Formats: sequence, structure tokens, C-alpha cells
Amino acid sequence: MGSRQRQRTSALVVIVRTFGELMITFGIVVLLFVVYTLYVTDIVAAKQQGDVNDQLEQSWAGPATQQSVTPNKPPKHPVKPQQGAGFSRIYLPSFGTDFKFVIVEGVGQDELAVGPGHYPDTALPGQPGNVGIAGHRIGKGAPFNDLDKLNSCDAIVLETETDFFVYRVMPMPDEVANWDTVKQRDPRCARVPSLRQQNQPQGGPYNRTVGRRIVTPDRGDAVAPVPYRPDNPLPKAQQASLVTLTTCHPEYGNSERMIIHGALVNQVPKQQAGSYRALLGLIGEQV
Amino acid sequence: MYGWIWRHLPGPLVVRLFTAIALLIMIVAVLLFVFFPWLEPKLPFNDVSV
Repeated sequence: MGSRQRQRTSALVVIVRTFGELMITFGIVVLLFVVYTLYVTDIVAAKQQGDVNDQLEQSWAGPATQQSVTPNKPPKHPVKPQQGAGFSRIYLPSFGTDFKFVIVEGVGQDELAVGPGHYPDTALPGQPGNVGIAGHRIGKGAPFNDLDKLNSCDAIVLETETDFFVYRVMPMPDEVANWDTVKQRDPRCARVPSLRQQNQPQGGPYNRTVGRRIVTPDRGDAVAPVPYRPDNPLPKAQQASLVTLTTCHPEYGNSERMIIHGALVNQVPKQQAGSYRALLGLIGEQV
Repeated sequence: MYGWIWRHLPGPLVVRLFTAIALLIMIVAVLLFVFFPWLEPKLPFNDVSV
């Protein structure tokens, strides 16, 4: 083997080796990115969620911004929350009594990095119309990671300064047709409406509103006052009080969105309930 | 590439080892706190609103 040939071989070896090292490095960086997305963002979000929680407790402890309300009458003039500020809490008791997040106003990246975000211009908790809330399914605290595990009649509790508003997931598509019989299996379903009107063609304006739907990302009307009806067929006084949760679908993709619709079944003033745990007893959830 | 970097780190073995670890931590920190936060919103994994 001549020295010139050895030199050429070693040049080739250097190129191949460097290429290999770069590929391995790239692989490690991609893995590190996965770790970042799934875990590191959780840590950052938990810190920010703690901060807005402190701010919310302070503002609730301060002078009341809302008049205390009479049962089953939503506040007449709720204060519109400021962009990015926490103004309410969401609890999903099906995911454990410790599942709670502060909802911030806005659904931009900055807001959703803190916690579930309230679609501006949608109803506020307890109001007639539709409370739209978006949340991450992966990373950043992943508040809405398990929305696919919600069943009809599962509770979605929204806490405001004065009240707990108890919404329950509406009937699933396969339960709508005979909801009056299906709902009897569970006392928690007693007040959950299907919102179908027998005397109207195709069941009335809420005929597309079910417990869970998968839609394409352009369906902004999922959070319309009457879901999937951008033409807004009902005056505000006739609108049902709904809550709509949106997250990404499939779990690691963005080709679709998962939508959960719930209807308001109870309003419990916080003075009456005392605490969230006591509320769970009142509304028949297992503690 | 890594061999070349290792050969060009100055000082005795212990110093080189620490320099290498410091470099590694720096790179990971830049990735985690600068590059990934910039990159992540641009990727289509986590759009949740309609």
C-alpha cells in the first residue's frame, strides 16, 4: 500500500466519519426536542400557571368586581377579562379532584402557554351562549390531554369569583337519538339536555351539537353561540348555556380538532358550596 | 469532528474534560432555552384552537 493511497483512504474515512457524527448529533438533538416538548414546557407552564393562579386569588380576595348574584341568574354585566389575565378556573372531576387550571383570556400562543385559553368574544361562564376554551393536549401542562376520555354527563366545572358553574358533557352522537332512555342509567344525567326539538326539522338549531366531535381546523363556528351555526339563529335570551373545549387531534397532529360540548346544569354560589370538594359532594361526583 | 475538537482543546486532560462538559452544557442550554422555544410554534404539532 503506497503512502498516497493511504492518504486518500484516510480522507474518505474522515468524510464518512464526520458525516456519521453529524447524523448521530442530529438524532440526539431531535430526541432532546421531544424531551423539551413533552417535559420542559410542562415545567415552564406550571410556573406560569402558578403565577396567574396567585394573581387570580389576589384579585378575588380584593374588593368585589361583581355584584353577588342570585342563584340561577348569571351576572348581568360580567367584567370582560383582560387579554392574558386569568379570570376563571376549570375543573374536570373525572380526571381527579386535583385537576384544575386557571383559564386565561385569549387563545394565542402566549396565552395557551400559560393554561387553557378563553376565546375572546365567546360567552363568559354562566352566560347564555357558548363559553369557548382551548387547551394544549401535548406539553405546556397539557390540560386537555385526556379530553377523548370524557363521557356524556361528565362534569366540567367553571369557577368564577362568585359561583361554581357545573356543565355536563352532552350526549355522544350514538346516544342522541334515544337520550331520554340512555340518560336514566346515571343520576348525574338527569338534567343534561340533548337540546333536540322533536317538532323542528332535523331537531332544531342544536342538531349538530353533541358531546364530542372531531372537526377540521377551519370550524371556528364550533365556538359560535349556537355551535356550527355561524348565522346565529337564536336571540341571546333563547340560547342554551354551553361550554366548548377544543384541543388538537390526532394527539400529536394538527390536521383536526377535538371538540367537547357541555351544557350548564347547575349554578352553585361559592358561599353556599364552601369549597370545590364540598361542591363535588353536592353535585353527586365521587370525591 | 469530535476528535478534531478534542485535539484542539487546550490544557491537560482534566481541563479538557471540563471544557468539553461546559461546551456540551452550553449547547444544550442554547437548544432548550433559545432554539426550541423559537422552533416549536413553527411546527404543526400543537394547534388547539379553531
